[in-house]
Amino acid sequence: MPRVLLVEDEEHLAAGIRFNLELDGYEVETIGDGLRAVERLAPPPEGSMWDAGPTVDLVVLDVMLPGLDGFQIVERMREAGNYTPVLMLTAKGLPEDVVQGLEAGADDYLPKPFDLPVLLARVRGLIRRRDWARAPSEGATLVRVGAAEVDFAGFELRKGGETVRLTLLEAMLLKLLVERRGQVVTKAEILEKVWNLNPDTETRAVDNFVMRLRRHLEEDARSPRLLQTVRGVGYRLAEE
Amino acid sequence: MADVSLLSRSRRPKWHYVVVGVGLIVVAVALTVAWQILAAPGSVGSRAVGPARVVAYFFGSLLFLLLIAGLVLIVILLLREVRLNERQSNFVSAVTHELKTPVASLKLYLDTLEYREVNPDRRAEFYRTMRQDIERLNATINNVLSAAMYTDRPVADPRPLDLARLARRTVELTLNRYQLPKEAVRYEGPAGLRVAGDAQALETAVLNLLDNAVKYSKDRVEIEIEVWGDADGQAHVQVRDHGIGMSRTQLPFIFTRFYRIGAEVRRSRTGTGLGLFIVRAIVKGHRGTITADSPGPDRGSTFTISLPGLLEPEAEAEGASEAARA
Repeated sequence: MPRVLLVEDEEHLAAGIRFNLELDGYEVETIGDGLRAVERLAPPPEGSMWDAGPTVDLVVLDVMLPGLDGFQIVERMREAGNYTPVLMLTAKGLPEDVVQGLEAGADDYLPKPFDLPVLLARVRGLIRRRDWARAPSEGATLVRVGAAEVDFAGFELRKGGETVRLTLLEAMLLKLLVERRGQVVTKAEILEKVWNLNPDTETRAVDNFVMRLRRHLEEDARSPRLLQTVRGVGYRLAEE
Repeated sequence: MADVSLLSRSRRPKWHYVVVGVGLIVVAVALTVAWQILAAPGSVGSRAVGPARVVAYFFGSLLFLLLIAGLVLIVILLLREVRLNERQSNFVSAVTHELKTPVASLKLYLDTLEYREVNPDRRAEFYRTMRQDIERLNATINNVLSAAMYTDRPVADPRPLDLARLARRTVELTLNRYQLPKEAVRYEGPAGLRVAGDAQALETAVLNLLDNAVKYSKDRVEIEIEVWGDADGQAHVQVRDHGIGMSRTQLPFIFTRFYRIGAEVRRSRTGTGLGLFIVRAIVKGHRGTITADSPGPDRGSTFTISLPGLLEPEAEAEGASEAARA
């Protein structure tokens, strides 16, 4: 049974979301403040004691929280090496908030008030996407991209003896490009498939993620040879 | 939604303009000093020390000082604007949250009732939740409207009312709203105390004080509300709590519009930052005063409203109770 951690301080919303997630067959754990959420999700530096608790498959995270806000929580999680998918909920649905959330490391974003079926679909989607990103691509778990070797099952990228941990979104973006190697993938398609966002959304999130991938893959990230920009259209992973 | 984003566009703090202003002041001061050294009568390179030169030097210095004073004034005004701007952006954030959270909750429960099979017990619980959400929404709307209504406006038509009774009524309302046991809010004072004022406005003011006292209480709610009249013809309402209190540095700001303790994204208490501002506006409209005091963080707060216009107890008993009920 997938386990969802719900971080929400508004009791009514927390109770309502919990009721619906449990009906859909999830095990739900609720936390009402930011500091306790970080304690649960971001392990402290090695050496200190950490009561990990049961593994969480998805975090549903509110932005306005007492103690520590949602953006900071995702950042701390990612810094601490926790790559559990995060769905952010917030009353502030402005485009810049969406972008801030995604850049902080959230995987999906839903403005309040939301439609219940949409929330449940996003939750299902994130858990499924995690499985999809993990599944071997064209039968192979390990894919060679330039000098690097990508392990989609483990969300890892190895290059020259160094191992880099990929976030769910980085892995998904890279997988989409690998599956369509040699072809141009449009920005709109990336937004839709990777971010679940409307293709018209004005955001630099895709460009930022491409920059991050280039830093992992390219010899020189400023003059990319593998992950090419097709001006005005999108991106292409060069054939080898 | 469009309005909110419009407001948000101008909410970015304009601190860099303040920096530019301060920089200009520094340049002006440096220029003044340099000019004084070069142009002073008898300074190096000056040929004649005639009276015309002394006059020119005098007026020149005056103009320089004027320039600096003007710049300082502009920077101070700018600083004020920037601060207001920041508080306003906090307010937009707080109101957005206060309006959208109950709406989101109502929608969630409506959707749940529509899409799910819900047993009667759960259904009753959901209805209770939804009713509380509507009350919260209504309270926020009333607060925003009151802020607009009572700002800088004297009470148009003060009528005799029973302040003691009004205070007891607000206690009832507060106990009900927060589902508190009877002993959580204690009333101390006479059975009746007649003053002239706007009953509805005063009720809003006292309710806001009690609301804050509950919100800023710690685990156990323990509040006293005291009403008394003094020999100077003043009536007082005092609300004391044993909650989180505040520090000396926060006290001067709490009656400011949109002021809230702490940053908005890390909000730990509901609210819009309008409550005490409304209280002060209403009390000022009655030509009264409001004071706040706290011995320090975690040691509770005391708010006292003092109103002129204490009335003799006997006259017009009928009108008073009516006004209090209104």
